[in-house]
Amino acid sequence: MLEIKNLHVSVGGKAILKGLNLEIKAGEVHAIMGPNGAGKSTLSNVIAGRSGYEVTAGSVHYQGEDLLLKSPEERAWAGVFLAFQYPVEIPGVNNTYLLKAGVNAKRKHLGMGELDAFEFMQLVREKARLVELDASFLSRSVNEGFSGGEKKRNEIFQMAVLEPTLALLDETDSGLDIDALRIVASGVNKLRSQDRAIMMVTHYQRLLNYIEPDFVHVLADGQILKTGDKTLALELEERGYDWVKDA
Amino acid sequence: MPEAYSIEQLRAQAFSLFERLGLPGRKLEDWKYTDVSRLASTLGETWWQATSEQPAFSAEGSIEDLDAYRMVFVSGVFVPAQSKLPDGVDVLPLADLLKRAQSDDSKALFKLDTDAPLMNGFVAVAVALAQDGLCACIADGVILDKPLYMIHVGHGRSHVLSGVMLGTGAEATLIEHFIGSTDEVAGLSNTVTYARLAANASLTHYRLQQEHAQQYHMGRVEVKQSRDSRYVLHAVELGSSLSRLDVLVKLAEENASCELNGLFVASGRQHIDHHTRVDHIAPRCVSRENYRTLLDGRSHGVFNGKVVVHKGAVKTDSSQSNANLLLSKKSEIDTKPELEIYNDDVKCAHGATIGQLDQAQLYYLTSRGVPEAIAKELLLVAFADSVLVGMKDKTVRRFIERAAFAKLPHTSGIEGLTHER
Ligand SMILES: Nc1ncnc2c1ncn2[C@@H]1O[C@H](COP(=O)(O)OP(=O)(O)O)[C@@H](O)[C@H]1O
Ligand SMILES: [Mg+2]
Repeated sequence: MLEIKNLHVSVGGKAILKGLNLEIKAGEVHAIMGPNGAGKSTLSNVIAGRSGYEVTAGSVHYQGEDLLLKSPEERAWAGVFLAFQYPVEIPGVNNTYLLKAGVNAKRKHLGMGELDAFEFMQLVREKARLVELDASFLSRSVNEGFSGGEKKRNEIFQMAVLEPTLALLDETDSGLDIDALRIVASGVNKLRSQDRAIMMVTHYQRLLNYIEPDFVHVLADGQILKTGDKTLALELEERGYDWVKDA
Repeated sequence: MPEAYSIEQLRAQAFSLFERLGLPGRKLEDWKYTDVSRLASTLGETWWQATSEQPAFSAEGSIEDLDAYRMVFVSGVFVPAQSKLPDGVDVLPLADLLKRAQSDDSKALFKLDTDAPLMNGFVAVAVALAQDGLCACIADGVILDKPLYMIHVGHGRSHVLSGVMLGTGAEATLIEHFIGSTDEVAGLSNTVTYARLAANASLTHYRLQQEHAQQYHMGRVEVKQSRDSRYVLHAVELGSSLSRLDVLVKLAEENASCELNGLFVASGRQHIDHHTRVDHIAPRCVSRENYRTLLDGRSHGVFNGKVVVHKGAVKTDSSQSNANLLLSKKSEIDTKPELEIYNDDVKCAHGATIGQLDQAQLYYLTSRGVPEAIAKELLLVAFADSVLVGMKDKTVRRFIERAAFAKLPHTSGIEGLTHER
């Protein structure tokens, strides 16, 4: 589904990713771990299409197509979704309206009819219940005045509504208490299926108790330095990252 | 005893003041960014002489579905046949007041405070030459059941002088709507509006400027507030080639509050300049200012917001925010919040920002599948929203939203968006 080959990315002239390789197949869950500043968010943003990142070499293919040629909205229509590490506040833009515009643009792109207001509200209410998000959040401005945990839950809510094929979760678990973590994890698990894939960036092994990964990767020095199964996460939590880098 | 005087005398005084002041030059600090010398070059030496003939009134461009009392002015002249005044309330055109001669306190409208801040030739000539205007005296305790809707059709050159006096506990909504005539020949609309609020009175004032693209628009709003009174202004600037508005509010007695909201949407070579001045004279008064400008093309915006907290005005609570979006490389804004404080016991928060659309917000929206054009539009609307949201009259607000959004550079499927809030 996602094939990243020899990816080199710089930001403002500074090389961040230096020859990263990663393949994610349908049905798989991949965890990406690594020290702060290693480039995990950079990787997520390059896949989702943020401008300002310079791809100096390598390629990113998604469902056989060159993803780097597409705009962020085209990637979203193709099923890519990024739950942001730091979701931005957008005062004056209604949370529900944003989703409606996104869902209907995607449906239009896929040649499906747009959802009417009633159908859409039903969908949104159902998904809000799924992530135990109070209905009052639906009519608020995007992330405005949300607590850290509420923002993260709102990301998962949006993911549930948009039903992506490839979900990227960038430290969605950071700053969540155990109840919120359980809710977020169950939202993610409901999305899991044979034709979907998940890439989640995390620092904590505890998330992986809830969402069991097929692969755990260590991103350091701008590359995937090590790949293992879920036991690698336990080892990383115990020993840190240096031993991987020194190896 | 006030000095006995006649209106004729006052007008003569005003005219000589005008002759002395003339057109404000750019050497004056308050006119640094706004060049009105082109008034004389476009309209000629007699730019100040009112047009003598008025075209027929057409309601096109007015808020037609508004349930309101209506006063229509074409080139500054009241059109009774098109107007509908409230019964039992002292509302009449200025020309009628002048005929009533030395009568009553509504004459308080006629004044000329030579030393008032931001005094200039336009104010003087309006007092000297205004043919018409609105004189409304809302008696104590009267709550006007519908808004007073003044439609000004800007055609040629005109001066309008209006006054609204609210008695103790009285409440009213005034909507001043400047619409252009269809001829689109350069002219001048010059207006002065006085408002006086007695104790616990409340005035909501919409001022919507949509003159045609060649028109010069000059305005002044002067408000004096007694204790516990509330004044709210929504000033929206969409039209004209050059528009200047001076808003002066005196919080003269305790616990009065004013709220000044401004929205500019400018494009082409439009020039829009607002100067506001709030004088906190009495203790425990509140002033709130929120100005937002969206500037496209080669347009130029000017905002100067001055707040003066006088010595006795303890426990003043004042805030001012001015945010500006430059939508093109050639658009320009000059913004200057000014604060003069003469006592220590105050709470003041003032700030101005200038920027482009927020790229992180744009990315967030597009990453959810919202097409870039719509995402931009959403952000522009959201930016204007903080001013629009304060407009309580739904009909007026919808009209303003439509008119403002129609001027935005990215407009497509915006209809229906704002009703969902
Ligand atoms: N917009 C940017 N401008 C400059 N440097 C950036 C920018 N974004 C990220 N970086 C730098 O790139 C490196 C990787 O950042 P990031 O991808 O956020 O790391 P991680 O998510 O792994 O903590 C860091 O050194 C960070 O300072
Ligand atoms: Mg990060």
